[in-house]
Amino acid sequence: MSRKPDTQDGVVQRREFIKASAMAAAAAIAGGTSFALPILADEPATGVDWQKAPCRFCGTGCHVQVGVQQGKVVAIAGDRNADVNKGLLCVKGYHVGAALYGKDRLTKPLLRDGDGYREISWPEAIRIIADRIQAAPERFAFYGSGQWTIPEGYAAQKLMKGGLSNNHIDPNARLCMASAVTGFLATYGVDEPAGCYDDLDACDVLIMWGNNPAEMHPVLFSRVIDRRSRGEKVTLIDIGTRRTRTTEACQHYLEMKGHGDLAIANGIAHLLIKNGTYDQKFVESFCSFKAPDDTNPNLHGKVISFAEYKSLLEPYTPEYVEQLSGVSASQIRMLADLFGNRKLRITSLWCMGMNQHTRGTAINTLVHGIHLLSGHFGTPGNAPTSLTGQPSACGTVREVGTLSHALPGGLVVTDAEHRTKTEEIWQVPPGRINSVPGHHTVKMWESFCTPTSEGGDIGTIWVQVTNPGQTLPNLNKLFNPKGDSKAGLEDKLLIVSDVYPTATTRLADLILPSAMWVEKNGMVGNSERRTQQWFKMVNPPGDARDDCWQTIAVAHELLTRGVEGMKDRNGQFLFEVKDAAGNVVPIWEWEHYYDTNVDEHLFEEYRKFTRFKHKDLAPYGEYVKARGLRWPVVERNGEWKETHFRFSEGSDPYVAAGKEIQFYHSSTHDDRAQIWFHPWIAPAEVPDAEFPLMLCTGRVLEHWHSGSMTRRIPELSRAMPRAYAELHPDDASSYGLKNGDRIRMESRRGSLEIPVWIDGRGKPPKGTVFVPFFDETLLINDLTLDAVDPFSKQPDYKKAAVRISKVHA
Amino acid sequence: MSRRRKPSRTLLIAFIVVSVAVVGFFTGLQGPMKITASDSASSRSSLPGMQSRPTEEGVVRAAHYSEMAATSRTDMQQSHLTSLKSTVEPLAEFKITFEDKLMALEQRGRNRAFNGAPPTVPHSIDQQTDAACVACHQTGAVASTIRIPRMSHQFLTNCTQCHVESHSRHLPSELFRENSFAGLPAPTSGPRAFPGAPPQIPHTTWMRTDCMSCHGYEGRQGIRTTHPWRNNCQQCHTPAAAMEQTLMSAEPTFLPGPQIRK
Repeated sequence: MSRKPDTQDGVVQRREFIKASAMAAAAAIAGGTSFALPILADEPATGVDWQKAPCRFCGTGCHVQVGVQQGKVVAIAGDRNADVNKGLLCVKGYHVGAALYGKDRLTKPLLRDGDGYREISWPEAIRIIADRIQAAPERFAFYGSGQWTIPEGYAAQKLMKGGLSNNHIDPNARLCMASAVTGFLATYGVDEPAGCYDDLDACDVLIMWGNNPAEMHPVLFSRVIDRRSRGEKVTLIDIGTRRTRTTEACQHYLEMKGHGDLAIANGIAHLLIKNGTYDQKFVESFCSFKAPDDTNPNLHGKVISFAEYKSLLEPYTPEYVEQLSGVSASQIRMLADLFGNRKLRITSLWCMGMNQHTRGTAINTLVHGIHLLSGHFGTPGNAPTSLTGQPSACGTVREVGTLSHALPGGLVVTDAEHRTKTEEIWQVPPGRINSVPGHHTVKMWESFCTPTSEGGDIGTIWVQVTNPGQTLPNLNKLFNPKGDSKAGLEDKLLIVSDVYPTATTRLADLILPSAMWVEKNGMVGNSERRTQQWFKMVNPPGDARDDCWQTIAVAHELLTRGVEGMKDRNGQFLFEVKDAAGNVVPIWEWEHYYDTNVDEHLFEEYRKFTRFKHKDLAPYGEYVKARGLRWPVVERNGEWKETHFRFSEGSDPYVAAGKEIQFYHSSTHDDRAQIWFHPWIAPAEVPDAEFPLMLCTGRVLEHWHSGSMTRRIPELSRAMPRAYAELHPDDASSYGLKNGDRIRMESRRGSLEIPVWIDGRGKPPKGTVFVPFFDETLLINDLTLDAVDPFSKQPDYKKAAVRISKVHA
Repeated sequence: MSRRRKPSRTLLIAFIVVSVAVVGFFTGLQGPMKITASDSASSRSSLPGMQSRPTEEGVVRAAHYSEMAATSRTDMQQSHLTSLKSTVEPLAEFKITFEDKLMALEQRGRNRAFNGAPPTVPHSIDQQTDAACVACHQTGAVASTIRIPRMSHQFLTNCTQCHVESHSRHLPSELFRENSFAGLPAPTSGPRAFPGAPPQIPHTTWMRTDCMSCHGYEGRQGIRTTHPWRNNCQQCHTPAAAMEQTLMSAEPTFLPGPQIRK
């Protein structure tokens, strides 16, 4: 082998050549021949194993391909075979792998010891939790999350409601989409959107109601605006309280005042009727009318006639709406003309703007209402669709029902028949499930932060997969009433399972290290009814363990202590899992947790619930094969088929032939949806002389929610290192502020020192300020308001009166 | 199909807006040449920048309006995209050393979390719109003062969805939590069947269709192709099936061979 290496690209060639020679020599020896053509090992890419998983972050539900090498996640790519994202991701998704590797991952259970913590063993940690529950089961609360996987949420739900007869279980999703749920229930009698993301490919007009998908759901936003570069025409309309990146891509920007959306929706309905452009046939065939019943406020309201509906809308002329909302009468007419045009396909999107709203239920029903009234419903591109912020707000919270009033599959604790059905599936004795709803989120934390002697009836909260110390509103009341001290609350115990230290762990008494994302098996459900599955790919660090295991281990500890609730009516453990040979697998022992697929066992049991409200899920194995499936997933000719458009004949298998549209869970039991009237009502707090500015809070592209994961990813954290206050330039100059100056911002509830960023990421109108909530060192929720929607109990993070003053260095 | 019409008027307007933005941006190209005290951290005098602050290297920042008056007419002319002189002859033959390659990969890795990650943006961006991105990155350019890689993928509208600033220019911050994520490193070479054979593509090509974005003349010296006059890269360089998310990643199967009885 005397041939000189080709000098064309020097060393590289030479190294290859040396390797080639070595391999050729090896091959020659092995094969006994004098020469063999060398086959070179694929040097760089060997050992990277690619597997599918849904992204850890938002509710869009993109699928990623996770590259694992030597037990570590090393690369991420968009999944080409995923319907949701078709290979594309956003910057958070591309960097999701690094979320596992922050240097300060929690790896040991930690117990508060004076000012600090000491490491304890898992058995000790489990015993402490069991002690607390056993001592006062009714004073125990579970605070969960829309990031709980479906099996995690289901296990917590079963432990609480099926085991402890305790309904104090509520998720952070109460803060995020509870009003979307009540909106769907009040309108269709059953939760979750009828449409799906396919509507984004078909719509002619996309209306975003208080929504900034360019930053919060970028993949969906791109799905729409990329259509333009293919030559399609899509009209984008941004109805918002601040100019954002979304606005820049929109043809129309309708800048409204907080709660202006209520007036705008009524204004559209007013004009549809006045101009005779509403869809009379659709309304007569498929809709009834409702208005709130002030004497008995609930989601059923009272039935009204079309004439009554019309007269209630009478005052909402474009001019009156302009006065209430700040949006010009001509823009209201433009919207009404679009809705009045049956040839256009119109999709509405919304997220926190309409949900974090003290009239959230009302505005949700109103937007559904104008789609129904105008017949923009049920065909591709015609849909009112709410988006979720968390990967399993739908899959876990709404479908498994980890809410204080709910049971799995859309059932509720207050309905005796629903309780019986649940007790039957769980095989627990009749009467096990408590019929009184537990505390919703705000009430739960208020009770926890109130001394026992003053009626604070929650003594222990176990937090999993969320960060209430940063994300609850009015933190000084609902999380840390005594600052960093526990004065007066010494008997209360806060247990936090998490992956990193957070604003919540700062007050935790017991901190449990959790496994996250591809460190465990999981299933989640995204905004478009799509249930997704992934397998564990890498080991969690140190002693970090699955949240689901933690819940089951506590349940088993209670069982060994003789707590009756941990047994079903046959005397078996609530979470008993048997292997193929019929032997019980001790899944409560960590060493044996992965001897079987606990997710599959829990999911197959949970799946029985999904039939009740026609939210049928397929067997676990179908999700292993798919990049998610949209329910109802129904078996036809041996194949499991997903449903694109609910309530629509031809797409939804539960719509009877010839019905065209059938709202088969109608609250009036006549296959009709309800078109609601709700009046415009002012926000719970409005600026006044003392607090003259309106504060809105929200998110940014780079960080996901409280930032506990994304702020540990260098690429994201460097791009958006800390929170800031957006001001209108005129306001800035009237306060003598320039970019980077620090201000003190105060509300009636708290204050914060924060730098200003003028004409930065967004542009708030005069008189308003915007602060993102991702920064744990700049807690804007010290200032926000804890007023809630009367039906959904969801707080309003978008409207709080504040004042500002310049801080002189 | 009526849908398949030519780009709409909106795009045309966007293009005009963009063009104006380009002029605005490059009007200030001379700015960084006068290094101010506050810019010293990103000093370009230490180029070729193994030591310089990673993401600043090779990047020209726009001048402030206050500095514009001082910018001479010639400077401004030189800073127009159309009049920038390339330092690289696009079709020239040249040699690459292994050291060149390592340096290129190292520089390239500075604004990527792993090989295949969307690069972060080593210069200031407009926080609100993407219009200006396309102006430069649509075509790419190389001059003595600047290297502008062109988009490696098809045109996508929402640039900042994936590409964020390497360092926030508006909100500088000191402290970050450390992260031990060790991203997939860039491969130094693709496997060859035999010496002299065309190497296989050793990296994923998801989302990327334009090889010349990195390997063409706007690419870094150490990873440029030695034969830029050939246009059909994948004619000779095949992607590794294992790294493609297509059906082709399956193991090849064959009919059973003849049964030979002994």
